[in-house]
Amino acid sequence: MNPRAIKIAVMALGGQGGGVLASWIVKAGENAGYIAQSTSVPGVAQRTGATIYYIELFPKEAAAAKGKAPILALMPAPGDVDVVIAAEMMEAGRAIMRGFVSGGTTLISSTHRVYAIAEKIAMGEGRQDAESIRAAADRAARQCVWLDMDQLAEDAGAVISAVMFGALAGSGATPLPRSAFEETIRTTGRAVERNLKGFSFGYDAATAAAKEKPPEQPAQVAEPKIAPAVRPLVQRLQTLPSGVRDIAYKGVKKVVDFQDVRYAELYLDRLQYMVASDRLKGGDAAFYKLSKAVAKYLALWMAYDDVVRVADLKTRSSRFARFRDDVRAADGQIVRVWEFMHPRIEEICDLMPPALARALLKSNGARKAFGMVLGKGRRVATTNLGGFFMLNAMASLKFMRRGSFRYGVEQARIENWLSLIASAAERDYALACEIAGLQRLIKGYGDTHERGLASYEAIIGVLDAVKASAAPAQNLARLRDSALKDEEGVALAAELSKYGVGRAVAA
Amino acid sequence: MAERSFAKEVEDLRLSDGEVFRGEGILAVTKALLQAGVSYVGGYQGAPISHLMDVLADAQEILGELDVHFEASASEASAAAMLAASVNYPLRGAVTWKSTVGTNVASDALANVASSGVKGGALVIVGEDYGEGSSIMQERSHAFAMKSQMWLLDPRPNLTSIVDMVERGFELSEASNTPVMLELRIRACHVYGSFVAKDNVRPKFRLRDAMENPTRDYSRVVLPPSNFVHEIEKIDKRWPAAVDYIKKHRLNEFLGGTSGDIGIIVQGGLYNTLNRALELAGLSDAFGDAKVPIYCLNVTYPLIDDEVKGFCLDKKAVLLIEEGQPEYIEQAVNSILKNADIQTKIIGKEVLPRAGEYTSGAIFEGVGKFLAKHAPQLAAKSAPPAILADDDKRAVAAIVPQRPAGFCTGCPERPVFSAMKLVQKDIGKFHVSCDIGCHLFSILPPFDIGNTTMGYGLGWAGASAFGAEAGQRTVAIMGDGGFWHNGLTSGVGNAVFNKSDNVLVIIDNGYSAATGGQDILSSRAENKTKSTNNPIAAAVKGVGVKWVEEVHTYDIGKMKRVLKEAMTTTLKGPKVIIAQAECMLNRQRREKPVRDKAIKEGRRVIRARYGVDPDTCTGDHSCIRLSGCPSLTIRDNPDPLRDDPVAYVNNDCVGSGVCGENAHAAILCPSFYRAELIYNPSALDRFASKIRSAVIGFFQKGGDRRRARYSFGAGA
Repeated sequence: MNPRAIKIAVMALGGQGGGVLASWIVKAGENAGYIAQSTSVPGVAQRTGATIYYIELFPKEAAAAKGKAPILALMPAPGDVDVVIAAEMMEAGRAIMRGFVSGGTTLISSTHRVYAIAEKIAMGEGRQDAESIRAAADRAARQCVWLDMDQLAEDAGAVISAVMFGALAGSGATPLPRSAFEETIRTTGRAVERNLKGFSFGYDAATAAAKEKPPEQPAQVAEPKIAPAVRPLVQRLQTLPSGVRDIAYKGVKKVVDFQDVRYAELYLDRLQYMVASDRLKGGDAAFYKLSKAVAKYLALWMAYDDVVRVADLKTRSSRFARFRDDVRAADGQIVRVWEFMHPRIEEICDLMPPALARALLKSNGARKAFGMVLGKGRRVATTNLGGFFMLNAMASLKFMRRGSFRYGVEQARIENWLSLIASAAERDYALACEIAGLQRLIKGYGDTHERGLASYEAIIGVLDAVKASAAPAQNLARLRDSALKDEEGVALAAELSKYGVGRAVAA
Repeated sequence: MAERSFAKEVEDLRLSDGEVFRGEGILAVTKALLQAGVSYVGGYQGAPISHLMDVLADAQEILGELDVHFEASASEASAAAMLAASVNYPLRGAVTWKSTVGTNVASDALANVASSGVKGGALVIVGEDYGEGSSIMQERSHAFAMKSQMWLLDPRPNLTSIVDMVERGFELSEASNTPVMLELRIRACHVYGSFVAKDNVRPKFRLRDAMENPTRDYSRVVLPPSNFVHEIEKIDKRWPAAVDYIKKHRLNEFLGGTSGDIGIIVQGGLYNTLNRALELAGLSDAFGDAKVPIYCLNVTYPLIDDEVKGFCLDKKAVLLIEEGQPEYIEQAVNSILKNADIQTKIIGKEVLPRAGEYTSGAIFEGVGKFLAKHAPQLAAKSAPPAILADDDKRAVAAIVPQRPAGFCTGCPERPVFSAMKLVQKDIGKFHVSCDIGCHLFSILPPFDIGNTTMGYGLGWAGASAFGAEAGQRTVAIMGDGGFWHNGLTSGVGNAVFNKSDNVLVIIDNGYSAATGGQDILSSRAENKTKSTNNPIAAAVKGVGVKWVEEVHTYDIGKMKRVLKEAMTTTLKGPKVIIAQAECMLNRQRREKPVRDKAIKEGRRVIRARYGVDPDTCTGDHSCIRLSGCPSLTIRDNPDPLRDDPVAYVNNDCVGSGVCGENAHAAILCPSFYRAELIYNPSALDRFASKIRSAVIGFFQKGGDRRRARYSFGAGA
């Protein structure tokens, strides 16, 4: 057998330190008596794009014996890569696409995701399911090592390249001794301790993963201690079909948290009415699909987002604990927080008595005056007393909600929505479920909320035409999806036009 | 200050005879220039040769010792014109840039120096940005060598060959009085390897010698009648001299087997890939002992007719591996054989891709097809290990997302385009003429802004046709790099002179950021060897623009107002907005160490970053569509009832504030917050925060108690 090079491809994203890792592997190889070559095509790819770093290690003594320098390649050849290291799960997929993962390959991949812009800008769920990558890789590769390297790096306070470096050593995919790797990190002289820690985390995790995964322990569920005030609600929940109970439980919780027990009673009244008609329509057979949908979307709609809700959530102790955690504040470190708020006259009117609100919304004078006072966005310092009390006061206006303009409007919309569902259920169960799902379009604040609501109403507007069409449920689903395609409403307008509706496309 | 410091690499430039140089190909070239006794070096940065410029910029001391003059030229044209110094004097000079774009810019001066001819060796090092990872139009530098009759070197991609070819290049240039191009592909520029160094050489004839004793020869000046003489000289004198030198010093190599009725001709730069393909096909080994004869062209222009004929004569078919199109070499080889009446079949693009990078896969396939037809007895003995079934691969391909390059975390250019998007919401869409630089990422999601890009600094010129009376103005973009490269004249001067009524947005981030953060005239940094701090606004006003606004890019509200004003004002005439904020990559590189040091030393430091509250975020992602910041991403919605993932600011956040500013300017949602983490708080800080947390904590406990009365138990 002729001497051959060890071929290693690193699939990384700009800023993940793939270049650093490549240079470390080179040094480790040289430490262990190899002739090392590495290449890459950085350039603009470094700016957040996907980059491949390629390393070849050739045994020195083999070259000495031949008295010639080996000819090493500058890019990986499909089916001829010994080790592929992917710094993110989709990049493992990219390696498979490029044919780098073959029967002879050890694939070392992080299981964490760095979402691509296409996945992030979707108006709803746009994420790809990376699990199928795992399946394909397990079929393609000689051996796969899956680790959440991002988490390990986080835990070690090291750069992810240190963890990948350790995973490479731990996987045993190369004959290089552990010492050759660690020596490399030491000689860099930068963040040595932390990176050695990251290295050993990667090393141990890889050696473990290369063997068998330990079975995950089922999480301990604490016995819920139910407060007396909400016991009646819980008892009512028991009367619901078992399939609906769980989601209704979450719904009730949300609605109580939003307003009060009485509001939750209203939620259950509405839901139970729906469950009853569902049962008549043979909901049993359909596992109460309709009731489940209503239980979920009704709760979301009833707990609509208004300034009171926002102020309430922003001032809670649990939220203070969470933002400290999110910004990685050290124990006891002082953290000051400013909210970005841009209340418009609409948001304020939401809370007022209907008559007054309508009058204000109509008057341009009020609009102007308001614009002068609150027109610009405000930064509210929630961690300062002033800011906190302002929000706290706003939150305490909960008691005004029932009498407020917005409350009336939303309840009317909800009743209308429920009646549409009920009447649809008479003839077309699937369609009823889709109508329930339309609530998904209504979310957010300000412009976002208005856009969503407009889409919802436009679709409801053609409901009769949809009912008359060949496949009503599918068509309604298509309308919903088109509403989530683009902000300008181009896709939705196109779908609507099929029902003879010309809808002005927002600029 | 460039993106990378080359302090360590600079020391490698001092290596002496017999010592081993380890490093990047392009840095090896730098050492080779000093070993060859170069007198002056110039160039314009750009991948893949930026590091050559950066390392020389950091090497002033050594260059001084060796009497070498280094210039970071204003453009590739300036760099090429530098070679004029080698026309009258025995001075070795080298210039470098990214090709083909840089060669396009340089070609005027190149054509002139090629016509005049050179006395001292003139070397043009072109970094070929072709194939994977390239950011420019896909063309060949080969055409430039042919049209001006400069010689084109394409060495095997190992440091020893590259370094040797630099020295040979100067000799060839002097032997044939012709400038020589050294073509290095991007992977070769970035390849890490080693070579045995030689001592640096101090030029015998120095620049000052020329300046103090100027000599001239009017026959070197491109003007009738000399220009006609030059053309004849090229054919009668320089070409034959070059051929003799190339033959005599065996610049091209005959490798692999010596017998057999087939062979392979390959560009030197592709030799390693070819050998790997042959290795996989069981026809060679790691040391290049191929079973097939190989003619390796380390000089791809001119071709050496005798060598070509000699190689082909006894062969029935020859595979020609030539990357890119048109296939100039294939055409030339065919005509050489035809004129010599040699019947050898030349197989090139027939079995190899017509366009695109010649990857291992492409060459492996091409060799396979060639052998199957013309040498079945050699045809692939050992196929490479099985890779995944195609449909399986397709399934993966279906879900693996594109990852276009984009603005970095906290990039100050992002808010400019956020503002532009918002203005378009108000006044309708407008035509946007883009330029070269990071800002060109605006054409990609989430911004989707920009119609065309016509070349570095040509953003405004690219919109100059739109001079008609119209209800909407056009916007042009230009970076500070492109502005100083030529945009000041080709764009701004042109707009003033032609009374344009359109708008230019100049992105002034303080560096030539896309090429690695090199300093330019308007950089704010003090630079020992360069003149910086020359404001763009002064230059723009200097050429006669009246309407000039400077805006800090992170102030999206103001950016939006100013842009709208420029687009709608009744005032006629060119309008220039200078959007200012330092490149975040460089800023972080400068500030982070300082901040960490301050924290270590116990000084009070405030670090800002941003966050999103998952319980108020409803998963619409408008914020991401307006920003696209890498650190603004998504995570699972903690609310079991909601379907859509919520926005989330990850720990890479550098606190630019763009996300929050957007939420404001666009009236998005109240989920964003700015957090300030205080390190080493003062006594006052601690006191104030004690009071605050005590009072706020008291009220929060009240709220917690109230909610507990309606608790559903765990997690409620």
